[in-house]
Amino acid sequence: MRPKSTPAPVLEAWEVFRQEKDGDPMRHGGSVMAPDAELATHYAREMYGRRQESVRLWVVRRSDVHDLDDGDLLQPPLDRSFKKPGGYVMRDKLAAARAQSGQAKPKARSK
Amino acid sequence: MPDEYRTAVLRFVEMHANSELMGVLPEREWLMRAPTLRRKLALTAKVQDEVGHAQLLYRVAEDLGKPRETMFDDLLAGKTKFHNVFHYPTVGWADVGMIAWLVDAAAIVAQQALRDSSYAPYARTMRKICWEESVHIMHGRDVVVTMVTGSTAQRAAIQDALDRWWGPLMQMHGPRSPREKDRDLHWRIKAKTSEELRQEFLTIYVPRIRELGLVIPDPDLRYDETAGEWRYAEPDWDELRTVVTNHGPMSQARLEFRRLAREETRWVRESILGVPRAA
Amino acid sequence: MTATAAPPATALAELLRSMADDEFVIGFSDSEWTGIAPLLEEDVAMSSLAQDELGHAAALYGLLGELTGTDPDALAYDREPPEYRHCRLLDHGRGDWAMTIARRFLYDTADVIRLEALAEGSWAPLADLVGKLVREERYHRMHAGAWLDRLARSEGEPRDRLLAALIVLAPDAATVFTPIEGEAELVAAHVMDAPMTELEGRWRASIAPVFGDLDLPMPPPATDPERGRLNHGADFDWLWGEFTSIRRADPGATW
Repeated sequence: MRPKSTPAPVLEAWEVFRQEKDGDPMRHGGSVMAPDAELATHYAREMYGRRQESVRLWVVRRSDVHDLDDGDLLQPPLDRSFKKPGGYVMRDKLAAARAQSGQAKPKARSK
Repeated sequence: MPDEYRTAVLRFVEMHANSELMGVLPEREWLMRAPTLRRKLALTAKVQDEVGHAQLLYRVAEDLGKPRETMFDDLLAGKTKFHNVFHYPTVGWADVGMIAWLVDAAAIVAQQALRDSSYAPYARTMRKICWEESVHIMHGRDVVVTMVTGSTAQRAAIQDALDRWWGPLMQMHGPRSPREKDRDLHWRIKAKTSEELRQEFLTIYVPRIRELGLVIPDPDLRYDETAGEWRYAEPDWDELRTVVTNHGPMSQARLEFRRLAREETRWVRESILGVPRAA
Repeated sequence: MTATAAPPATALAELLRSMADDEFVIGFSDSEWTGIAPLLEEDVAMSSLAQDELGHAAALYGLLGELTGTDPDALAYDREPPEYRHCRLLDHGRGDWAMTIARRFLYDTADVIRLEALAEGSWAPLADLVGKLVREERYHRMHAGAWLDRLARSEGEPRDRLLAALIVLAPDAATVFTPIEGEAELVAAHVMDAPMTELEGRWRASIAPVFGDLDLPMPPPATDPERGRLNHGADFDWLWGEFTSIRRADPGATW
């Protein structure tokens, strides 16, 4: 028999993602403490699947998750409205164009 | 996160977690004695959920920086507390029904208000917990209604259980305290005052208790239409203080039970489960 | 698949009773870990295993109830201790974590062999139920196997405790395969595909690789095999006293 040759086990957090039904995205459910992937998966099933409430689970060691929480990268300060719909407000310009062409705003087409 | 906020959230969540864990003990001895297969399944599932809730809540507290083992140390040393109702004995199956119905109901009134807690991980956990708790109350009420419509001995046992549990239930949400002095309200960790929770509990459950023909052991209990609130005999706040400082009838016995059980399984944690990675 | 002739009722009842009692009794010792398991997550896991067992017991008592015209709760609760037919392996108390894992591993691996021998049986109600039980039992074997492996491979206290547990359980390890009264008729009627002694052989073959790999002693033949489901002892008498206490205090009441 090969005895346990791995280093002493460490109890650590594993994040659990779950899928409610086929086609749904994986959503974060919570976390479990476990020493390895096999027991972490078992415990994830218990905490997030014992009531048949999930059709799929992902279990990831928290320390394997690469966390990006940097305001300079995710919320940089300069204007980026040219990348968003809110950056293209044309109401006044359209009103001027219609006034110039003598036409009313087109009615919305009924489907 | 301001230090005062972090400290307040941790204390609040830790006591909640402790209560779920200690709450298992009054019921677990009845797992063995449940009188039908269905009741046994229901009670096992309920108690399992309580352990599950403890896991969810200790995880929230752990992620705030306090290791689980330290929280257990503090609970057993009496440095942190658990809710009053779990310091009392259960003497029969009627108690099992009464706890599952009314104690869980009083707890849910508080827990529903916590679903909007300012601390998002706690709020998310509370939403999951509330969803799971709704079944427990139904199980409890079913046990009570079955006994109330059963034999003379069963009816008497239910009334006796109500007589013993009413006091602790009325104390459970805590003494009235002014809104402006409550730091947990200030931080929006919780949203309602003790009195608001107690009033809500009475409004929902007094009619449901009385419709079973049960007598609530408080002759002063009545609804004051003018004031728009329930009047009741002042709960024994001395009893509450005595009990939550671990001088209740079962406080020491239950803590000792936990202490012994923890020692018994220490070898499993230290060898196979592993020492928790430092936060 | 339907039987061409009705299966022998007495032997079938004995089989169902033994299976239902096994699942009922093991559920007690497993649920004793509620609130006090080594880890909160493990506590929830053990509780699921106990609920599964109880659910299986309820389904088997249900089938036995249909066969004998008896209420399932009456079958589970209203017999005297000598009338219970669970195997002696399950009379051993909860013990420590190693004892619980050893007992679960021995029982779950034996139970799956028994279930597989019934899965294609000629009596449809049992074959159908067995099909469902087998799917649920996979999870149990995964858990027991994962822990047996970890205990056996951890030199020192975990392995020592596991070996000590296996020694205590050894005389009763194979009692799941105690011959059922009238089983020859069940085999002849194709309800089960082989007698218990043959199933025991299959079980030993199934666990030998695991035990070999982990350098654990194989369980010996059961001592007193014919009486492997009798003589439950003082521990069971006490347990019976507990689980019947409420019903006996108010006989006939509805709970």
